[in-house]
Amino acid sequence: MAASTNSLISMQSRSGMAASRICSLKPVSVSNQGRSFLSFGFRSMPARSLRVSCAAKPETVEKVCEIVKKQLALAEGTPVNGESKFTTLGADSLDTVEIVMGLEEAFGISVEEESAQSIATVQDAADLIEKLVEKKD
Amino acid sequence: MASAAISRGEILHLYRSLLRTARQFCDYNIREYTKRRTIDAFRQNQNLTDSSAISAAYSDGKSQLDVAKRQAIVYSLYAPTIKSVMEA
Repeated sequence: MAASTNSLISMQSRSGMAASRICSLKPVSVSNQGRSFLSFGFRSMPARSLRVSCAAKPETVEKVCEIVKKQLALAEGTPVNGESKFTTLGADSLDTVEIVMGLEEAFGISVEEESAQSIATVQDAADLIEKLVEKKD
Repeated sequence: MASAAISRGEILHLYRSLLRTARQFCDYNIREYTKRRTIDAFRQNQNLTDSSAISAAYSDGKSQLDVAKRQAIVYSLYAPTIKSVMEA
């Protein structure tokens, strides 16, 4: 009787003649899972569970890498990926501010002062951008 | 550091504010000039160590920021209707 799919549970419990205690428990415990599964879209789900890794789309990281490379005038073959820190790429604090400005313009977002200061790697920047783009939409 | 010394955070805040204000200009030329000038000026004064020189440069930057903010508003009253050729 207990439905395996989340969406059916609420309907089942209404018609179920089981003990009311069980009935009241089921929707509370399972529908929470149901709600969290249904209401969050694909993008925010990973962001909720895994904050640091694989929270940003690869295209975003790619775009961020492009902007960083152009800003710091890096040579063509320099490897820039999600884990590169701005300081290792040769950027000082002024460069970091300029990079954040460039990212704001490219993605149409507005970054707060404190969040901007906490950006250290390309991945941080991409995650922050994803979060802001989501909030904007 | 002496309490009168300007902190790195304040300088970066000034830099960010100048660049943000530059974006508000509707005239392409002035926008680009403001961006260029702030980048050049901050790079030029990057290695100052004397605290009086640093605070002089900082207060100079702050007055320039005020000028830029005022002018952004004034220019927006007479915004050009045609976009510059340089703009994409």
